[in-house]
Amino acid sequence: MTSTRSPHTVSVDTALAEYETRRRRALAMGDAAKLARRSEAGILNARERIAYLCDDGSFVESGLFGTSASNPDDRDKTPADGKIAGFGRIDGRDLAIAANDFTVMGASSSATNGRKLGHLKRVATARGLPMVFLGESSGARMPDHMGARGMATLLGNDPTQYQRMRETPWASATLGMSFGSSTWYAVLSDFNVMRKGAVLAVSSPLLASLAIREDVDAEQLGGASLHGEVTGFADLVVDTDEQALDAIRRFLDYLPSHCMEAPPRRLAPAGSGDDMASIASLLPASRTQVYDVRRIVRAIVDRDSLFELKARFGKAIVTALARLDGRTVGIIASNPLVKGGAIDADACDKVTSFIVLCDSFNVPLVMLVDTPGFAIGTDAERKRVPGKIMNWMNALQLVTVPKISIILRKTYGQAYLNMGGGRNSDEVAAWPTAEISFMDPQFGVRVVHGKTPNDEGFDELFARMDRDSAVWDAASAYAVQSVIRPQDTRDYLIRTLDVHRMRMTNGIGQHLLRAWPTSY
Amino acid sequence: MATCEVKADVTGSVWKIVTAIGQKVDAGDTIMIVESMKMEIPVIAEEGGTIREFRIAEGDSVAEGQTVAILET
Repeated sequence: MTSTRSPHTVSVDTALAEYETRRRRALAMGDAAKLARRSEAGILNARERIAYLCDDGSFVESGLFGTSASNPDDRDKTPADGKIAGFGRIDGRDLAIAANDFTVMGASSSATNGRKLGHLKRVATARGLPMVFLGESSGARMPDHMGARGMATLLGNDPTQYQRMRETPWASATLGMSFGSSTWYAVLSDFNVMRKGAVLAVSSPLLASLAIREDVDAEQLGGASLHGEVTGFADLVVDTDEQALDAIRRFLDYLPSHCMEAPPRRLAPAGSGDDMASIASLLPASRTQVYDVRRIVRAIVDRDSLFELKARFGKAIVTALARLDGRTVGIIASNPLVKGGAIDADACDKVTSFIVLCDSFNVPLVMLVDTPGFAIGTDAERKRVPGKIMNWMNALQLVTVPKISIILRKTYGQAYLNMGGGRNSDEVAAWPTAEISFMDPQFGVRVVHGKTPNDEGFDELFARMDRDSAVWDAASAYAVQSVIRPQDTRDYLIRTLDVHRMRMTNGIGQHLLRAWPTSY
Repeated sequence: MATCEVKADVTGSVWKIVTAIGQKVDAGDTIMIVESMKMEIPVIAEEGGTIREFRIAEGDSVAEGQTVAILET
């Protein structure tokens, strides 16, 4: 009798044994020596990062058996094709994760891992999952991308690859050498944390030196100092992988999983508001003296809930996520400690990107105002401040989440509007210490009356202008709806944000800024 | 001994120098005060050290990023 059994049929045991062998090989990642060196340096590998980030046992991998599809010789050298993808949970909430494995061909981008990332993003967008990128990458895989065939087959086949419509929050960690796609996803994200020693750049120092003969080291090209202080592409700079992953967990904890739900509410910790009684003492007696507004913000918000973003960039304004009575709020606070609170080009960019984040994910805005105005002078003009001021205004006026503005001390000129003055907030409140005018009275006397401090009559004119800047005329005209005592600020905000809760839409805004350019 | 440049972080004029050559300062101490936008803005030592030199005098104009003092650290 002739057998009908196919020569390719294998027993279940053999198939399972092959499954185990292949699985083991994929999970082992790249070169063992490279993995050992990372471990000795205290740097987590890609799978350790996923395990640290996610709740125990929650990670479901997608594409474990993917390998290079472009080059058959690379198949055995490309476990998971260098980018580990899947779905996990943080505190029980689902998310999608892509972790680059630098030990596999430098986590370079190629056909299979490109399909994995595309699938992950499509699922995250369609099902409402936050997207997390754990980035380090040498860029495009060579020689796969070389030549017209490489370009035609590997690039440009996904018209949504670099599209942001903010359906769900994206968080990124830059955790090593990051060129090409992992840089793109970092700057497209709503939050990027960078570990010291990591580098984020368009391309490597080697390519820079070949192309333009610029001899730079990687740190200068794209280190954490550059992106924390000069570009603002790092929202936070940390020392270790673990701190970076903790920061991603914390960032996502303030936000909803997707744009069609309200942010999660937490219990306000005991002790919240305890420092309110003495908050007025944090404001200096002299109107010309500076102070650190973060002390005031910390007193107002729920205990330990302040999570500052871009703390070393555009420092004249503080932007931070925080909670008030357990509800997420976005804080935009002038910081007189830096430049007296005068708003420069970087601060404008920082505020606008923060407004986009908050409005896109249904987070109400709270503005605390004490600014002498926008930075003026040749440097500011060269940095295109007028355009940035109007970008900010346009963004602010497109906001549909609640906006509350509180004037602590000074608010002058155009900055009065950018910081929510008039109808640019749903409610404007002011401390009795508020001063509202077009410019500082000292300049006002000079511009209006042509007098300087040593001229006869200057003191009288100054006193009048100074008196006219007090909050009471603004309250009389109902441009300021409430004058509140400093110690009542927390209670006022909690109550007023509750009044303005978006009941008609279950806390969901219109997201008119969802396609606003991410990196300014 | 290493030195570090102390830079103004805002354009304005030097209102008051509140330290002296040879004085020891800690990180976070105010070295001088710049007046800008009618505010008194401190120039702060980012690290501790001894003041070796001032590059400006009271009343001088300063630009953002300009070196105003040298610290021996």
